[in-house]
Order: sequence, then structure tokens, then C-alpha cells
Amino acid sequence: MIQGGGSPGGCRGPVPVVSALRRPVFLPVTPRSSSSRQRWVALLPVAALAAGALWLSGPSAPAIPDALFVLAMGTALGVVLQRSRFCFFCMLRDYFEERDGRGLLGILAALAVGSLGYLVIFGAWLPDPSGRYLPAGAHIGPVSWVLAAGGLLFGWGMALSGSCISAHLYRLGEGSVLAPVALLGTVAGFGLGFLLWNRLYLLALHDAPTVWLPDHLGYGGSLGLQFLVLAGLFFLVRRRRPGLEATVDPGTSPAGDSLFHRVFLRRWSAWVGGIAVGWIGTMLYLRVEPLGVTAQVGSLARRATDAAGLLPERLNGLDGFPGCATAVGESLLRANGLLVVGLVGGAFVASLLAGQFQPERKHPLAFAAALLGGVLLGLGAMLSLGCTVGTLLSGISAFALSGWIFAASMTLGVATGLALRRRLFFWD
Amino acid sequence: MTTAWTEENLNNDDVRVVEVSVEPGVYERGHIPGAAHVRWHTDLVDTVRRDIVSREEFEALASRLGITPETTVLLYGDKNNWFAAWAAWVFTLYGHDDVRLIDGGRGKWEAEGRPLSQRPFRARPTEYEVTEVREELRAALPEVVAVAEGDREGQLVDIRSSDEYSGRIIAPAGVAELAVRAGHVPGAVNVPWGRAVDPETGTFLPEEELRALYAAEGIDGSEPVITYCRIGERSSHTWFALHHLLGYDVANYDGSWTEYGNSVGVPIENPSGSVWTGQ
Repeated sequence: MIQGGGSPGGCRGPVPVVSALRRPVFLPVTPRSSSSRQRWVALLPVAALAAGALWLSGPSAPAIPDALFVLAMGTALGVVLQRSRFCFFCMLRDYFEERDGRGLLGILAALAVGSLGYLVIFGAWLPDPSGRYLPAGAHIGPVSWVLAAGGLLFGWGMALSGSCISAHLYRLGEGSVLAPVALLGTVAGFGLGFLLWNRLYLLALHDAPTVWLPDHLGYGGSLGLQFLVLAGLFFLVRRRRPGLEATVDPGTSPAGDSLFHRVFLRRWSAWVGGIAVGWIGTMLYLRVEPLGVTAQVGSLARRATDAAGLLPERLNGLDGFPGCATAVGESLLRANGLLVVGLVGGAFVASLLAGQFQPERKHPLAFAAALLGGVLLGLGAMLSLGCTVGTLLSGISAFALSGWIFAASMTLGVATGLALRRRLFFWD
Repeated sequence: MTTAWTEENLNNDDVRVVEVSVEPGVYERGHIPGAAHVRWHTDLVDTVRRDIVSREEFEALASRLGITPETTVLLYGDKNNWFAAWAAWVFTLYGHDDVRLIDGGRGKWEAEGRPLSQRPFRARPTEYEVTEVREELRAALPEVVAVAEGDREGQLVDIRSSDEYSGRIIAPAGVAELAVRAGHVPGAVNVPWGRAVDPETGTFLPEEELRALYAAEGIDGSEPVITYCRIGERSSHTWFALHHLLGYDVANYDGSWTEYGNSVGVPIENPSGSVWTGQ
């Protein structure tokens, strides 16, 4: 009777099944006592986040503008990602393997909301898009084969390690044992990317065009085109495997469910998460910088490779490109680090409240795959100047062609990587 | 001008407030209400040659800002007004005399909790024409060498840090533009730009203190002065103090150390004795 399985935060997620009474039941059903005990433990990360917030408003705070806002946004993001299982890999895998596109609707919703939000900001910041300026800081990257290769590597990394970087981060908060290994690999992958950078810069990146759609189509035309593409993708992914209609959307709750259950225990629909992610991305761009999760990881990797004496004296042009900047500043911690800390903390709180903090035993080879996948994630994100969040979400929201190229090549990487995974992962 | 005066004159049609910040996105995320935006990297310099913006481009810029020769141009920016001061120098060079800085710049405005806006700047464009170019406000390499060699009257003020001046380092950590020799132009006195401001608020010292500060180094306005730094932008800050606040005859050497320290055959003083590349 009970189907599904896997960790609650894992790809399969809590799978709704239809019981004999045709009443939807949501799995995993954890014993009430353990989940309510976990709920009390949630006070710990809440207290830690509050202490962090106090420190940020105190006199010894680091010189990071809008630090408190960034931490709050990161926390909100962590809650949203955990609650709606906003994992790019799982969404693509559901679609490719189960013909279930409900997860992908989350990404489309995030892109639609993000594009609208960015449009509002761009209209104020740069009323005339056809001039010689690009909107400040937006992730509009150079378009070249290096970007496509980066996306492909990133997709393979997702397939091997089981998610993208942002999802590994929220899984940290769910007690995933693979996420730390994958993230360690990500740091190494960034290091590898830095070592390759100068060669690739001279080969392709120095004269790669930076294509910003509003420069060619205006704001209205760009929004129209993107919504047309999003609508096309919507019709593509809404086609479902026959019989899937019988299962209940994980986001719907039985009637009479309390608000607490709906918000903190039941998984949110992916599109709800997508709307929230698009909104958070817009607010962050408005106030601080575009949403991304690799700048801090990348700058740590850069600092480490430099300290090890491996880094070339100069990384040509790297710090001039818009994207998840890895430039090493004076202080170790940067705004992006606060965002990531908030993200992990928020996901931790949310998973404890839902009783989904469940470290699992894994096959030893799964760790090796996570490490290797992590390296590919880091390398791909370094070459693409960001990941599924910084380059894909924040890039497409900013009407950058680079965001679309990354999305396409990453999807191809996941599709081919999944085939490989089915053959190799005998333990899965 | 003070931040308070600025706030009182935000609706004054004779005043155009202009932000020149070097950090991208700073203006967009909140500027003084009604302020226009000038980008140092593209609007105030030639993007191909190493030069200030051309006369035609400056006219186009000023027209876009909706200013006339009578407008009071009130500049401010991040990093202690360094780049706003560069803009003030360029405006003065192109004959726009009524140019001022908001004392303390963006930092002081924010610290005082004054309002910021995200509304885009809109103004009716004008047809600004440059009528005179005051070349005497800009020093070129041959003039600097002539002063260094004593063939020309003048005094040099090096506003970089004392470590750069003495040749212990070529440039502050983290900057990409370097020179192949360390030290300073012979005869230059070292008055780091920061000594001209109150360290707390970033505002210029009172006129008498400024006069005394430079007089103590022998700069009293009796001879023409040339200011320089590494790329010429921080020295605009000192140039502004000496020219606009003290009324001295002063030119800014925008080639600065990245030109001078790379030039072949020019005299250099290097008290630290450091050797390039350390061999």
C-alpha cells in the first residue's frame, strides 16, 4: 500500500498515495512523538538566526550593506526551497522519468514572476534600454561555447550528485549526508575552473558577445518573447503521463486541514515555491544584488587555491563579467555568505518543523558519486559565472540570453546524465 | 555645500544634483531625490584612449543632464567623493565654473539618515555648448618633468599614501594598474588626500586648517601647484580643495604615477631603494 520512499527531502519526496478510503495520505508519516520533538528542536536554529541578526545590528557587525535584509531573505528562501522541494534536478527527473511536469511549473513560475519584477526595476533604473549601458549588476553574461559547456557539466553534476548547488544547500538543512560531500566537491570544482580560466578566456570568452534582449527588442518585446517561450514550455510540461491525474498534487491538502499543517507539514506546490523564489529574487536585486548562491563558495575556493599557490597571478577579465562574482575582497564573509547561511538555517527550521530532518545511511559509492558530481557542479558554475540560481533564474529574469543558453545545456546535461545514472547507480 | 543645504535645495531649478559613484548599482538602489547619474567609467573618460571625455561627448552629457552654463552643478558620490571630484575637475576644465561638491558625499548623506529615492532622473535636455577649455587646469607629462627638473616654476603634491610615495610599494593591494618603477616625482611633497578631510564625517577641513595643512608643506599658493596620485582621481579631491576652496593656481596631473612611473628616462626619487620585481 505504501509506495514511494526515499528521504523526505530527497528527490522522491513525500509521495501522496491514495488509501483504501480514497482519502489522500501524505508520506512519510513520521511518528507523531518524534516529529513534535523535532519541532521543539527547531527553536535552536531559530535562536541561532536571531543571534546572528542581533550580531549584524550590533557594533561589531561586518561592513556588509543591508546585512540584516540579506539574512532575512536567505532564511525565507531556505524555508521556501525546503517546503516546496525546489530542486531543479528533481523537477527535471520527475519530468523525464515520470512524465510529471508539476515540479517544472515551479521553475516557470519563478521565471515569470522574476521577469516581471526585473522589468519593473529596469524601467526605473534604465528607462532607455537601447543605450550603451547594461542594468547595474544584473547577471547578463557572455554567450559562448564555454557557457554551454559549463551548463552541460553542471547538468551532469546534478545527475551524479543528486541535485544542484542550491538544493544541496537546503538539503544541508535537512540533514542530508551527501550534500556536504557534494558541496566540498563544488569548492574543488571551482578551483579547477580557476585553473582553466585564463586559457578559456583567450580561446572564447574575451570576444564573446553579451546579449541583453531589451537592447534588441525593447522591454515590451523582450517580455513578450520570454512569456511566449514560457507559455510554450508550460504546454510542453503540463502534458502528463496517463494515470498521473489519479495521484494528488502534493500541494493540495485535505479539506479541514489546519493552517499549521498546510504551511509547516504539507509540501507546498512547486508553483507556489516558484512564485516566492521569483519574488525573493526581485527584492534582492532591488536592494542588494541579484540572487545567486555561488559567489561566497566561489570566492572561498578562489582564496583557497590562491593560498595553495595554484592560482595564476591574474584571472583575465573574470572580475569584469557580470555574474556570481568570486573576486576576493578584504573580508571573508560577504553578502552572499549571509544569504547562504540564512538559506541553510531557514531550511533547517522548516525541515525540523515538518519532521523531515532525517539523515540517512547511504551506499559508499553514493558518496563518491556526490563528490564527483560536486566537482562538476563547481566547474560548471565557475565557467558559467553562476548556477541554476545565479545564471539561470537571475539571468533569465534579467532577459539575458546567457540564462537561456545555460538552461538549455543544463537540461541536456541532466537528460543524458540521468541515462548514465540509471545504468551506474545500482545502489539507488 | 552641506548636506543640509542640499536637502533644502532639492527643488531649486538652478541647482542640478549629480551622483558620480564608482560602485555600480549604488545610484540605482537609492540616490538623493532628483539627482542625475553620471558613470565615471564611460561618461567622464574616453573608453578607448586614455583621456578625459571629449568636448563633444561632454556637451552631449551636459545636455542630457539638462544643465545650462548658469546651472549650479552639485556633485556627490561614494568613496569620499573621489569620482565626484574627478567630475568637478572635468566640469571646470570644460569651463563650467559653478560646480560644487556635497561636503562628505554619499557617506555623510546616508549616515545622517537623509532620504534616498529610486525614481529615475528626468529632465528636459538642453543644448549645452562648451565655450572655453581651461587647459591650464590639466598637467601633462612634459610639464611635470619640467617642474621636476627645475626648468619650470611649480610645486608638486603627491596625495598617495606614504608607502607609495616612499617607494616601499608600487600601489595599494588589489589594484590592477601598476607602474614598473616605485617612488615619486622629485621635489613632490606628500600630503595624503585623507589629511584634507575630517576622518569622522569625510567633510573638508575648515578653510584656515586646510591652508595651514598645505602651508606646513610649503604649498601656499605663491607658485602654481600640480597634484597627482596613481590614476588621477583621488588627486582630483585635493585639486578641488586647492582650486575651489583655497583659490590656488593648481592643475591636476591625470596621467599620475601610472604614467610617470612607467615613463622611460624621467627622474624619480625612490627613498626606499626598492627594486622592481625584487631582483
